[in-house]
Amino acid sequence: MFARLLGKEYQRKQALARAASGPLHDYLATPFIDRQSDCRRIEIVAIDLETTGLDPSKDDILSIGLVHVDRFGIRLSTAWHRIVRVDRAIPGETAVIHQITDDQSAAGAPIAELLPEVLRRLAGRVMLVHYSPIEQNFISAACEKLYGAPFVVPTIDTLEIAQRVFERRNHTIQPGDLRLFNLRPRYNLPQYRAHNALSDALATAELFLAMAENLYPGRPCPLGEFLSKR
Amino acid sequence: MEVELIEIRQFLEQRNPFFYLASELLDELPRDIEIRYLRRGSAFPPQDGFLYIVRSGAIEIFDEDDELCEKLAEGDLYSVSCQLVNLSQCSRGEASEDALLYMLSCTKLKALCRASPAFSEHFSASVKERLKSAVSTIQESADPSVATMMVEVGSLIRKPPITVASGMTIRQTAALMSNKDVSSVMVMQDDDLIGLVTDRDLRKRCVAIGLTGNEPINHIMTRDPKTIESTTLTAQALMTMTRQRFHHLPVTQNGRLVGMITATDLANHQSANSAYLAADVRKSKTVADLVEVSKRLPNLHLRLASASVTARHIGEAVSCLTDSITGRLLEMAEAELGVPPVPYVWMAGGSQARHEQSSHSDQDNALLLSDDFDKQRHDSYFEALARFVSDGLDACGFVYCPGNAMATNPEWRQPLKVWQGYFSRWIESPTPMSMMLSSIFFDLRPVTGKIELFLPLQQMILKKSQENRIFLAYMMANSMQHRPPLGFFRQFVLERGGEHDETLDLKHRGIVPITDIARLLALSLGKEPVNTVERLRACAGTEALSEDMAENLEDALEFIASLRIQHQANQIRKGKKADNYVPPRELSELEREHLKHAFRVIQTMQEIMVKRFGADKLG
Repeated sequence: MFARLLGKEYQRKQALARAASGPLHDYLATPFIDRQSDCRRIEIVAIDLETTGLDPSKDDILSIGLVHVDRFGIRLSTAWHRIVRVDRAIPGETAVIHQITDDQSAAGAPIAELLPEVLRRLAGRVMLVHYSPIEQNFISAACEKLYGAPFVVPTIDTLEIAQRVFERRNHTIQPGDLRLFNLRPRYNLPQYRAHNALSDALATAELFLAMAENLYPGRPCPLGEFLSKR
Repeated sequence: MEVELIEIRQFLEQRNPFFYLASELLDELPRDIEIRYLRRGSAFPPQDGFLYIVRSGAIEIFDEDDELCEKLAEGDLYSVSCQLVNLSQCSRGEASEDALLYMLSCTKLKALCRASPAFSEHFSASVKERLKSAVSTIQESADPSVATMMVEVGSLIRKPPITVASGMTIRQTAALMSNKDVSSVMVMQDDDLIGLVTDRDLRKRCVAIGLTGNEPINHIMTRDPKTIESTTLTAQALMTMTRQRFHHLPVTQNGRLVGMITATDLANHQSANSAYLAADVRKSKTVADLVEVSKRLPNLHLRLASASVTARHIGEAVSCLTDSITGRLLEMAEAELGVPPVPYVWMAGGSQARHEQSSHSDQDNALLLSDDFDKQRHDSYFEALARFVSDGLDACGFVYCPGNAMATNPEWRQPLKVWQGYFSRWIESPTPMSMMLSSIFFDLRPVTGKIELFLPLQQMILKKSQENRIFLAYMMANSMQHRPPLGFFRQFVLERGGEHDETLDLKHRGIVPITDIARLLALSLGKEPVNTVERLRACAGTEALSEDMAENLEDALEFIASLRIQHQANQIRKGKKADNYVPPRELSELEREHLKHAFRVIQTMQEIMVKRFGADKLG
């Protein structure tokens, strides 16, 4: 609890002390980007997970999608998407949303094989998500299980930014207002039909660029201003 | 490919020129893209060395004088920073709406260009090549099942020329003919065509007279056969064949042998053709008969439009028929009114004179009378004659000219000296009125009557207008009221200054400017042709008009006119009245693209001419 107050860099060192040698240890060994950095000059990784539910202790990661944003350009060459093999049956009600079937999942790779790549890509970078608890908690739960330590990462959360923008303008927030696909049209961003981890990660990346350009038009964007307080 | 990037692939694959790329290349393409967001008001392009594709939002591009040149919307491309030579003066801009941009490095673009010539053509700097391909695309898209006589013979050639060398034996030649399954061969001496041999020659000049077959082919060939150019219309080729009783005609392109056309080829090719209509016009006994025949004109227009017929040839076909109808009406009038008291020439003006009529054009005409004309004694005859013909034309669907530029108007029914006076006045002291008349009376062509009367008038017009720089300056200034738009923006026509229009007036924004340019050039150089393409060709290669520009203008005209004909054909098919107004949503992406290039050609030439004729210096 107090760790949050002491900052991410402190949390990183605490976790590093606990982590067994391996991918998480290597990841945690890389210092975080300075909060004073200009977002326009750094590399950010937009990521989205599809899960079977909301509780990391009971539910599973179904797929992972990510794409890098380098100096405010989204590089599609970095796009990465994987289906995770889940040993439990996928609950029918969630399959409607992510459209991943048991068969597809069975053809995927175990999370233990995928997590190292995710950690490698995030090392020394910033994680960009829309509503961070899902990604943070699910990846952290997987890390605890596989490497014995939590996942610590500096995070930009577009949902939080949207909330702040609404509050600053004294807008009352209606249910659904903060959803990724309801926010995008406000910035003249196109509607994507597909709904999967990679297209959502891409949609989040675009939304972030739009938000940052609108908050700091043509000016440096201090990373600290965007980092999640969670 | 990551299935998830399919969204981006799909966006690209339906867009020009990406749809030309092979599927494997399209699969790879999203991976090479970088995405950027520009807030409204940000400078564009954000970075050099990239091709930009607008995914959402809008970008305005300006020239060096801060004039809007172009406005890009969803799906539009900006390739200026990838072009080796930057020909465009329009190279900077800004986002006029928040915009999401896809970027592709110039290096990658070059690789794609190497992989696909069709894709590459889109980025070629040559407007000429693009317009050429535009015209052929529109013709290919037409329905080829309706064959007509308005096609150029070159398009009927299916095989390369089958030739034998001079001195080959008759037997060798016959063997080659049966081997190639042809009924004729051409005999060559080096690169020159010296003779023609047909099946019939083998029968009549060899077997029938008992030659052995070992004699050289030169013995039995037809020497120096007549040839035709590949651009000759099939109707004309057929006429040559029937008149001279040939069944085979070697076809040349710029003098080079390209193939052979036979009477059978032509016969197979004819169906709905204007020749039949023309014959029926001649057979008509009464105005009512002519009206009946004319009812088939819109249908002819439709059929020609749905066949692979160029806009130019359709204009020619319709104008020729109008000429025939006019001629037949005059014969009927003379039969009724008696022999004309003095010689006259019936003149056509405007689109009929230019051979650019469509089936629903209105009539523009005038009477040129001999100077022996005495108004008191003779005018009642010519008034009645004019009335008869004009009413007849109207009944046939060529409605009265709303500006009253018709021979029924006593002003336009005058002896030569009065006409010469008119033109002197119009040319020497131009007024807004004379400028208005210029598009009718400076396109003037004798249809029938005593043609000699017309020549002195024509010579006078050409001589005087050539010498009068002020007249030419006025004409140019006047023609600037019809300027092409900048292009398109979403579902609108983009105007100068950034306003948007709902529809594009193909006639006044595309065809009229080119017609005006050609008229003015011809008048300034004293060239006789009246048809726009002929005028351009006659002026090409002079100081006033480069060969390249002439060709670009001709292609631009053909493209815009073809679009108009297709648009009108669609309206006629739907039972609507044909007009010139096309909403941009009816245009394909490719057509919009080509139109934009055509507009640029027109705009460039207009700017050159305004300077050349000093139209910018008029008060």
